[in-house]
Amino acid sequence: MRGQGFGFIAPLLVLMFVAFNAPIAYMLGLAFWDKGRGFTLEHYEGLIETPVYLRVLGNTLRIALIATLANVVIGYPLAHWMRGLRNRARLVAIALVVLPFWVSILVRTYAWIVVLGNGGLVNRALQWSGLTDEPVQFLYNELGVTIGMANVLLPFLVLPLFAAMIRIDDRLLQAAASLGAPPRTIFWKVYFPLTLPALAAGTLLVFILCLGFYVTPAILGGGRVPMISNLLDTLINQIPRWEQASAISTILLIVALLIFAGYRRLDRKASA
Amino acid sequence: MKRRTFVGAAAASVPAFNILTAGLARAQSKEIRMIESGGKSGESIEVGYIEPLTKKTGIKVVRESPSSLGKLRALVDSGQTTTVLFELGSGVMVQARKLGLIEKIDWSAVAPAAMFPEAKNDYGFGYQYFSTIMAWRAGQKEPKSWAEFFDTKAFPGKRCLPDYPHYCLPFAVMASGVPADKLYPLDVDAGFKKLNEIKKDISVWWKAGAQPPQLLKDNEVQYVICWSGRVVGDPAFGMNFAGGMADLSYFGIVKNSKPEDRASAYKLMHEMSLPENQAKAATVISYTGPSPDLDPLLPKDKLAEFPTSKQNKAIQWFQNAEWWADNGEAVNKKWEAFKLSL
Repeated sequence: MRGQGFGFIAPLLVLMFVAFNAPIAYMLGLAFWDKGRGFTLEHYEGLIETPVYLRVLGNTLRIALIATLANVVIGYPLAHWMRGLRNRARLVAIALVVLPFWVSILVRTYAWIVVLGNGGLVNRALQWSGLTDEPVQFLYNELGVTIGMANVLLPFLVLPLFAAMIRIDDRLLQAAASLGAPPRTIFWKVYFPLTLPALAAGTLLVFILCLGFYVTPAILGGGRVPMISNLLDTLINQIPRWEQASAISTILLIVALLIFAGYRRLDRKASA
Repeated sequence: MKRRTFVGAAAASVPAFNILTAGLARAQSKEIRMIESGGKSGESIEVGYIEPLTKKTGIKVVRESPSSLGKLRALVDSGQTTTVLFELGSGVMVQARKLGLIEKIDWSAVAPAAMFPEAKNDYGFGYQYFSTIMAWRAGQKEPKSWAEFFDTKAFPGKRCLPDYPHYCLPFAVMASGVPADKLYPLDVDAGFKKLNEIKKDISVWWKAGAQPPQLLKDNEVQYVICWSGRVVGDPAFGMNFAGGMADLSYFGIVKNSKPEDRASAYKLMHEMSLPENQAKAATVISYTGPSPDLDPLLPKDKLAEFPTSKQNKAIQWFQNAEWWADNGEAVNKKWEAFKLSL
């Protein structure tokens, strides 16, 4: 019976291999084989000799971490609040969270300029109300990048988290309350552990997506927040040093896989 | 496709077949494909050069965009032969030549009208001049030189500079006191020193040409280095071509493209060399073609806006694409390190 099922998915596997895996393997191989000269490690050696590209990678990891944390801080309470809503209100809230998916990322990113720029809505309101004299610099720094990335990626965290939260049986919480647990204890001992797997998965997803962000750092970072995908663009389209880009991509992939492996380990420990 | 490969192979082995391939080369395609940079520039190619060509010869040109060196390399590496013309910046043109991605132009087949010498390159037809210049929000104190532009004490205001070393560093070097004619080989360290001095006042490093004029309008920054066509003719901006960098966009012939496509591409290049067509293109975009006889055909009140009008061409210097092709990668590493220090 097992063999029969495989026959049905074989075309999909072939498609995945030809259209997805093979090009990636080719791309990763670029760094190791030079036309006519065979195997080489010089592109990796180059990375170690001038570590500036690796420092950009480090910077990317740092920004991704900040943006992910911001996402969790905003996303978790949001998902929790949505769980408590009534049916119709809940539908509206979900729609509002999902709506940005239908708006181009470029439009959303530029919209932040209108909202947060020196002459933007927020700064005008702040100055009008007398809270500040000078415009606050929200954009063209790491803060701008974090805000933009958090906005774009929020649904990826909120939706799985919300799905996990509405599956939590209210009677579990009631049982804890009936045994005399205060609300804080109920949250940390019962509710939070039940949402943890979804939170971890969503966080991981957001973090990995952050690593590859291109448009948002380019526009809202004002070119002051170097990220690895912008560097790769330069190496692929301008210079072009595909071999170097391939070496960096390989390291990026390994970092992402290591993070994923770490998550799997934690996950297994938690469920054991 | 198969037949031509066969003919080509036969011609290579048997000299007598040369006559046959020569006959093929003279044949023209009725439709060719080009990859250009897109936007208004693409429209100007359509209006200025493609329409006259189609009217005269019936040859159609399919445009695609955008163009990047990576795309050209992918085209050639994958062995495709359908695209014949590829738009290249001056530095990219030199790199493409060194990487063997473009082929020599048969200038006798183009038979161009008079052209500025730098536009008539062995490997590229320089079809569009553009300038990288200083500009500011109208009403700001007006800098007269790069030293003044980089002096943020005497000329206070936030700056927006290109996030491309080859559009930015030369001006920083000039600000440190090097005259335009002694700029190359570029004293990269002097340039970074200058940028370091004022980096607190540079709020945005732009990647897209549309950013600097918008940031000026939003009053996010007050002084920018940007492409001339983005700011000329708008009273919201002030600008100065003096000390600016003139540069050229080229069309190159993609390696391994078909001979009959090339024959048609040369016809298009001929149209590109005619001043009357360049004047048409300049109605769409404020960048100009390579004809020295273009000035009289342009509107008199707009001469100050074009990179090649006599008054502007004389006060600018020309980009050194060869130097950047040799040193671009090394400079880029320093550039990334500098960006990390912001």
